[in-house]
Order: sequence, then structure tokens, then C-alpha cells
Amino acid sequence: MNAMEIRGLCKTYPAFTLKDVSFAVPQGAVMGFIGRNGAGKSTTIKSILGLVHPDAGQVEILGRDFAKDEKFIKENIGVVLGGIDFYPKKKIAVLTDVTRRFYENWDEEKYRHYLHLFAIDESKRVDQLSSGMQVKYMIALALSHNAKLLILDEPTSGLDPVSRDELTELLGRIAADGQRSVLFSTHITSDLEKCASHIAFIKDGQIQYTGTLADFRDHYAYLRQGDAPLTLEDIIVAVERRPLDENAII
Amino acid sequence: MKTLLYKQLRLVCHPMTPVFCLFGAMLLIPNYPYSVTFFYVTLGLFFTFLNMREQKDIYYSALLPIRKRDTVRAAVVFAVLVEVLSAVITALFCLLSAKLQPGKDNAVGMDANLMLLGAGLVLYGVFNLVFFISLYRSGYKVGAAYLKANIAMWPLMLAAEALPHFPGLLWLNRVDAQANLRQLPILLFGVAVFAVLTLLAYRRAAQLYEKVDL
Repeated sequence: MNAMEIRGLCKTYPAFTLKDVSFAVPQGAVMGFIGRNGAGKSTTIKSILGLVHPDAGQVEILGRDFAKDEKFIKENIGVVLGGIDFYPKKKIAVLTDVTRRFYENWDEEKYRHYLHLFAIDESKRVDQLSSGMQVKYMIALALSHNAKLLILDEPTSGLDPVSRDELTELLGRIAADGQRSVLFSTHITSDLEKCASHIAFIKDGQIQYTGTLADFRDHYAYLRQGDAPLTLEDIIVAVERRPLDENAII
Repeated sequence: MKTLLYKQLRLVCHPMTPVFCLFGAMLLIPNYPYSVTFFYVTLGLFFTFLNMREQKDIYYSALLPIRKRDTVRAAVVFAVLVEVLSAVITALFCLLSAKLQPGKDNAVGMDANLMLLGAGLVLYGVFNLVFFISLYRSGYKVGAAYLKANIAMWPLMLAAEALPHFPGLLWLNRVDAQANLRQLPILLFGVAVFAVLTLLAYRRAAQLYEKVDL
């Protein structure tokens, strides 16, 4: 069963087009959604969540059509768009007090557990938390309302290597029970080597490849030079890199 | 709805918004264009909506299990709550003014009576209609929406202030019980206009906001 299925998502902007984006996140998978800056990762995620109106396409999450069951779906997913850039001067306790009221299946015991686990001080203001802590707080909120699918847009961008390592381990552990799934966009591909089971690769608004991490490596095995194994970064750079022509610098 | 309203009050509401609701006390100033008290309340709402944009409420709301149009509903219901609260406070100061300043005759504009309250509700209705439709066309242009709402409101304010000073309409300026009874239909008209325009504002604004790409 798939936790999420995207079919034929299209969106045209004056300078950018999302073309027929289709992929699925199997239940229990950690899917890395990769592509360079401006490839269409955030636009796809925003289209999935209804923040941007796709011109065409269908989004099915937890077996339900997003357009028809938006409220149910949002009750059962957790979304982290980078860190927190809203309500920076509010205390964490206040933000939680407001947020928890929106979820019927809010579990206060779990919330306390994750606060303790992540060492988050509720009396701090949002802008007093480091970027890594902000992402962890958002994950704590998502896990406290028993989200079955986590959608994270660039959660590791701007984090130090230790925080990134902690976060990738956390995401892997969240999906390890086989019930919860994660869709995780990033351009820091080394993070995915540690936790992703599946990959969706987007370039210029089009999906280039989607499948398991192992299949992805096999698919691009032809790019391999020498004996060194191909990293995800090698693949992306080889596919995306455009050489500067000799008149580029004037 | 209760949860959405709680969110508006706890996270969004600017401290000056409820303070401006108390400006109904200006009705105790002997000579003053009292309709300005309604303008101050809209200024309080402007502060709140500016605050909402600056705090990036759009992104917070987008993560919550609510439909996009519910964001608009929360905003409109919050404004209605503030406007009704201010109307009630203004009504109390109408009574207080009659008690403390018997025989007062406001030389500048409307007097503290039911005509004033009716006009205030019409002004709030017009404000809601123009402000919310303009705001949710983009989702973020609060200043432009407030300017447009004021352009619609001020001529009405001036007309309402001038009306009771025309010959034959002097009864609109009286504060005695008999005149107030005669002004009751104006208050009811104000309530109806407020309700209809606010409902229209919500419907159109929600429709427009659905189409906005965030």
C-alpha cells in the first residue's frame, strides 16, 4: 500500500513548469525527494498540500483524495516546511497550546515524551531555538498527533553536520515501524544515503527517476568512472552539471 | 470555529485592537465627529492583520488541519467579534453620555444616539466588504486593502456626520427617548447592512483566496 500517490501533477508559472510529476511513497518508506535548487521540489510539495493550485493532477494520501478529504488528510500527516518562520516571538508552550486544539488525536503524553527526548524547553521563544531544534519541535508536534506520513521540505538545510546526522537517524527510526512513512526533500544528498529507502529525482520540473535507492544507483550505474562506488551526489552532479562555456565570464 | 477563534485571539490579535474598542469613550467629548471612533476600530483591525502577515500566519495556518477557506472565516469572525464588541461599548457610552451630559448638542456631527450606532454598523459592513475582498485577492496586501476600505468608508462617514444638520433631518441629531425610537429603524437597517455585507465579504474573499498560490 502507498502512503502517498501523486499522478500527473502539472503547474505552469511564467518562468517555470512542473511537468506531469508522478511518484508514490510506499508505506513504511523514507523517500528522498532530490533535485538541485529550483528543480521544483518545493513547488511539488506545495502542490501536494494545496498551497499551490496545480493545473492538473491528482494527489492521494493515506488512500484518500486530497481535494475531497483535505481535513482528514491534514489531521493524519505532519508537515515541516524548513524550520519555523512563523510566530518567532511566541513561546513554544503557547504555540503548542494553540496547535494541539486542532487535532482530535492529540496525545499529550507522547508530546511530553518527545519534548524530553529532544530537550526542548517550552518556555523558550521560537526564535530562541536553533534551526535544528525548530525542526525537531515540528517533528515532535507531528508525532504527537500520530501522523502517519511526514512531509518535510528541506529540513536539513542550514543545519550543522551533527544535527543533520541526528535528524536523518530520527527519520529512519520513525519509518522503521512500517506504519509511518516519510517524504523528505533535500539537496544535501549525503543525508539520504543514511536513511532513505526510496528516491524520487526531479530535474527542471520533471521526474527523472523514482524507485528504491538500490534501483536508483543501478539506473545511473553507467555514470560510474573507475572503481569508486557512485554516491547520490555524483549522480546528481553528473546529470545536472552544465559546463560554463568559454564566453561565460566577461 | 472555536479553535480558530482561539488561535486568532492567542496568536494573531494585536494588543491595540481591543484598546481601540474602548474608544467609544470619545462619545463623552462634547463636540467631536463621533464616527471617527469606528475608524479607530478599523485601524485596530489593520494592526492585527498586518501582524498576521508579518508573523507569517499563512504558513502556520497552512500546516493545520483546516481548509484554506477556514483561514478566511477565522479572520472575518474575528473582525465581527471586534466590531460587535466596539458597537456594544459605543452603545454603553451613548447611555452614559445621555446620563452625564443631558441636553448636549454635538455641533460637529452626529450625536450619541441610535442613528450613530446604525451608521457605525453600516461603516463596519462597508469596511468588511472592501477590506476582506481586497486582502484575500492576494493574501498579503494588507496596506492596499486598508487604503481601499478607507476610501470607501470616509465619504460615508462625512455624509453620516452631515445628514443630521440638514433642515428636516434635525430629529436624527436628538438624543431623547422619542427621537431614539424614531431612529430605531436606522439601527435595524445598520444591523442588516452589516450582516449582509459581511457575509458577502466572507463568501467572495474565501472564493478568491482558494485560487491564490501561497
